Amino acid sequence: MELLYKLLFISISTVFVQNFVLMRFLGLCPYIGVSKKLDSALGMGMAVIFVMSMASCITYLIQYYLLVPFGLEYLQTIAFILTIASLVQFLEMGIAKYAPALYKALGVFLPLITTNCAVLGVAILNIQSTWADGTPFNFIESILQGFFAGIGFTLVLVLMAGIREKLEYSPVPESLKGMPIAFIVAGCMALAFLGFAGFKI
Amino acid sequence: MRLKDNLLKGFVKENPIFSMALGLCPTLAVTSSLENSLGMGLASTSVLIGSNAIISLIKNFIPDKVRIPCYIVVIASFVSVVDMLMHAFLPALHKSLGLFIPLIVVNCIILGRAEAFASKNGVFDSLVDGISMGLGFTCSLSVLGIIREILGAGKILGFQIMPDSYQPMLIAILAPGAFITLGFLMGMIKMMQKKEK
Amino acid sequence: MKNYLRLSGILLIICVIASATLAFVNKKTKPIIDNIAAQEEKKAMLFVLPEAESFEKHEDGEFVYYLGQKSGGELIGYVFIATGQGYSSLIRTVVGLKTDFSVNCIKVISQSETPGLGANSEKREWQDQFKGKKCAQISVVKDGGEITSITGSTITSRAISNSINAGIKLLEVAVVKEGGNK
Repeated sequence: MELLYKLLFISISTVFVQNFVLMRFLGLCPYIGVSKKLDSALGMGMAVIFVMSMASCITYLIQYYLLVPFGLEYLQTIAFILTIASLVQFLEMGIAKYAPALYKALGVFLPLITTNCAVLGVAILNIQSTWADGTPFNFIESILQGFFAGIGFTLVLVLMAGIREKLEYSPVPESLKGMPIAFIVAGCMALAFLGFAGFKI
Repeated sequence: MRLKDNLLKGFVKENPIFSMALGLCPTLAVTSSLENSLGMGLASTSVLIGSNAIISLIKNFIPDKVRIPCYIVVIASFVSVVDMLMHAFLPALHKSLGLFIPLIVVNCIILGRAEAFASKNGVFDSLVDGISMGLGFTCSLSVLGIIREILGAGKILGFQIMPDSYQPMLIAILAPGAFITLGFLMGMIKMMQKKEK
Repeated sequence: MKNYLRLSGILLIICVIASATLAFVNKKTKPIIDNIAAQEEKKAMLFVLPEAESFEKHEDGEFVYYLGQKSGGELIGYVFIATGQGYSSLIRTVVGLKTDFSVNCIKVISQSETPGLGANSEKREWQDQFKGKKCAQISVVKDGGEITSITGSTITSRAISNSINAGIKLLEVAVVKEGGNK
């Protein structure tokens, strides 16, 4: 029962209440950059879900089995970013070799993910997050948070892409075309997501 | 490249936020007040200057194939140093910027300048480039910070500047306000650029 | 193969230099950082119980509280840190109590609630209404207590009130237990 409660809590709070893009401002560059077309948005989203879950898993192990026992917490930033960069590299090689179809769909997006701050963000947040009584997230909870953060990212990315495809045919004022209107639309979406805030389970 | 051009480009022509749309996450996340904007801007500037200088110093020593990991290590160490120094000497600011200090590592401006400028130019030029880009970034953050703090709280740096009868528009310091303010600012800049032509 | 060794060698050298620098900076700044945290807590405790001259740490299971004493060892109050899940963050409040378990003063020491709404819990005017209240009175008006919520931030107000309320109950139990042991 408690597990189910935690699952619900993590999923709803990371997908809606504390959405990584609209509420925490993480992963904005791909959000604005890759949201022009629906299918590329979907591809990017899938790649991010995958990398975020993997990164949460590995950085958790590094933090608690390498950095903490040796008192090296101050190397956290360096260790995490290097892990993520090499993880992305290995994933790219692995997928290209064993799942060419998947590689065709996700390949172009993988290198972009290294500089997606949402990935490093979720890795650090996993370590900082605590339950109301102060216990830190455990291994499974961290992976869940990574996975659902990816889902939340994909959700708003796909929604945004849908809106921007329609915007192409809308009479937008000349100087607001392109990036500026994308931000204003994002603002309206953030406004809608603000409605989820304070949601209690 | 002439020194003056190099120094000024970060403010207008190659302004990292408004004309290149780089480093968006900290731009939107920490600009709810001028104080935070300045803190974030200056922290990024010092990382940018440091990493630019070191990378242009060691650029001949780094093989091409592993250059990106090397740059990341250099940048991440500067970020960690800034993080620790801020924690020790500016604890209040460190608390309000929170997660976004370690995230300077993935700010595309810094890796972008390392790759596009510092790896091809001398130490002095790279230093100037770092200063110019960093201060350009800081200025843009401050503009956003000032607008959002005035609209959302009626204050600048904590001092009341709007009359008491002003009802603060809370939305400006919340998440949606960040997006909308930036959208309109970018639109205005685009309009001004068009008029000049 | 040799080329790969050279590549990883260079990367390794850079990593070693970087870690050495960080270790050095960490060694210099760590004491200062620890000191700041300890001092802030001390300052907050003095703020909520200004008459105390020393604080003695006590523990009851997981609950930690401090006895505020005058220099002669005379007990003048208790201090504990209440933690509650607010609207978007954990809120930590230092609470100072008189010996009759009524609130002397409280101070919110860490929160990252919505600026302009929940973040107003840091305002002195709001926190001062806790002064003199007893455990039974501490909950928001909506829940039948006497604490006026911050406008638009019932969740934040409720989190703080409830965490203080729960803390006082734990404290009363702990103090009675302690007294029984003596």
